[in-house]
Amino acid sequence: MSKEPILSAKDIEIQFSLRGKTLKAIRRCSLDLYEGETLAIVGESGSGKSVFTKSFLGMLDANGKITGGSIMYGGVDIAQYKTEKQWMTIRGKKISMVMQDPMTSLNPLKKIGKQIQESIELNQGLKGEAARKEAIEMLKKVGIPDAERRANQYPHEFSGGMRQRVVIAIAVACRPQILICDEPTTALDVTIQAQILNLIRDLQHELGMTVIYITHDLGVVANVADRVAVMYAGQIVEYGQVNEIFYNPWHPYTWALLSSLPQLGIKGEELPTIDGTPPNLFQEVKGDAFAPRNKQALAIDFEEEPPFFSVSPTHSAKTWYLDPRAPKVEQPKTIRLLREKMGHEEVTGQ
Amino acid sequence: MIKYTIKRLLQSLLTVLVVATIVFLLLRMLPNEYYFTEDQVNKLSEEEKNERLRAAGLLDPIGEQLLRYYGGLVRFDFGDSRRIQTGVPVLKVISERFMVSMRLGVSALLIALAIGIPLGILQAMNKDKIPDHIGTAYTVFINAVPPLVSYSLILVFGAHVLGLPSLYSTRRPGISSILPIACLSLASIAHYALWTRRYMVDEMNKDYIRLARIKGMSNRNIMIRHVLKNAFVPLAQYIPASFLLTISGSLLAERFFSTPGMGPLLTDAISRYDLNVVQGCVVIYATLGVIGVFLGDVLMMIFDPRIRLVGKGETR
Repeated sequence: MSKEPILSAKDIEIQFSLRGKTLKAIRRCSLDLYEGETLAIVGESGSGKSVFTKSFLGMLDANGKITGGSIMYGGVDIAQYKTEKQWMTIRGKKISMVMQDPMTSLNPLKKIGKQIQESIELNQGLKGEAARKEAIEMLKKVGIPDAERRANQYPHEFSGGMRQRVVIAIAVACRPQILICDEPTTALDVTIQAQILNLIRDLQHELGMTVIYITHDLGVVANVADRVAVMYAGQIVEYGQVNEIFYNPWHPYTWALLSSLPQLGIKGEELPTIDGTPPNLFQEVKGDAFAPRNKQALAIDFEEEPPFFSVSPTHSAKTWYLDPRAPKVEQPKTIRLLREKMGHEEVTGQ
Repeated sequence: MIKYTIKRLLQSLLTVLVVATIVFLLLRMLPNEYYFTEDQVNKLSEEEKNERLRAAGLLDPIGEQLLRYYGGLVRFDFGDSRRIQTGVPVLKVISERFMVSMRLGVSALLIALAIGIPLGILQAMNKDKIPDHIGTAYTVFINAVPPLVSYSLILVFGAHVLGLPSLYSTRRPGISSILPIACLSLASIAHYALWTRRYMVDEMNKDYIRLARIKGMSNRNIMIRHVLKNAFVPLAQYIPASFLLTISGSLLAERFFSTPGMGPLLTDAISRYDLNVVQGCVVIYATLGVIGVFLGDVLMMIFDPRIRLVGKGETR
């Protein structure tokens, strides 16, 4: 992509202090976000997806802080922001977020309309009746019927899917440039999931937002994403266009992740799982963090951390397999099957 | 909402009735000897004793006695005191004393609310920092040290250093109330600080607070508009009962400062077998307690829309 990124995180390091020990949750993680795109960040629990994106709005928990790197946004390095006041110029106005659980994301004692109105009053300079009207407008926009009446109701009178719509309305009420959706459908019924994803996509087009999805669900990724970044143990290990990641992945962790998709399982055969556990981030990780769980790991994987090798101009993977000096490694059978199943042409790899 | 209120009111009435009945029946199970002083037991003949019991209506069938007792309750007539102030109606015995207790108690409670809640807020907003540690140290000290020790400290400080009267005096009710009120409020301050802090910290960790931050609200506004109100709801529930039950006074503090209040009355009445006074006190405390809980529920209903809904569903 030739466009300039609207947000560019470079070598971000985030540490948490827990009971006197230091946990390196994010280890030199870089990411470019382009205007109008939909980027999905996938990875297992604890890989740092949420923490990484939360740092874009200064929403890290009190015991966590950015200890290195930069986040360039609008010509400013927001990683240097320290005070609440500085972050308040970003939060809601420029970058906003939808969280996982709509059941707990709304204040149970405040009317729905009021909660949206708060956000509008804070960021758009509208007051009182005008803000109320705009709040009702937002409710309509996120597909809540009978918005006037619903605005006067409390969260417990809304279903889970409806509440997530309200949360989305609050998040986008101030027309942010970037919307981070942290597993927006995980807590919802499967039938509601698609509706919410459609809603986010429609709003994205209407308001011209850039969207980051954080998810475990590769089905969601395939549906909504333009680009995918795969995270493991606090680092992005592979990124590329969505078809490049699905059909021509190169990082062994991406392979393992895709192979364990139930949809790709072969009837009668056991579904592959990823053995072992992620590395302990209280300790320094040596070499490729995934090597101990990778049956085909190379000797160098245990010694030295691989750099990014590019597969195509838009696709890079952080694995020694792509080093010209490495022994030839084949993509696993499931990945090849996936490619054939989808009738996808062989994408030029190495 | 009105249906729910009425339902809760009826439940409260029933509770009072059950308590009153149980107290009555338990006291009637005592042997008749308890109606006489030791002197009377030794000197009076059986006939004389029976005569007196009959005159007091105590030999009537139990059902009849119970009905008469209910009739009295409706007219706020708890019978006459037999020992503490012989021949004086129980209501009068109590009403002479409860004003003293209530005055001390309400003052102490107001002080506790005025200091305890802000202290809790201060602690919650500075969680794990120095103000929080100081508040916690205070709470732990008050709860861990027997009240007599802290009362003694106050007495020593107040009487010797500040020269305040160490005993309550009906001639100088104002100035001599200072030390009892200080003692009474000590524990309540700790109580309200503890619970305010706890409810606020609970709220602060909830997801909707995170969403409020995401939408760009300042910490100050989040505290005022979201946390405080929501944390106050569970706290508000207990405030009416606390106010009403100040009438029962404090046994320890009132003994300590020789206050002529309700605190020692019930225990005195029990140890001296003044059964009508016991009965009267228990029924009055129970009634006030039940009213307090009822008012607490009404408050909760006003603050928390979810409770209104539950009520509707139940009584529909």
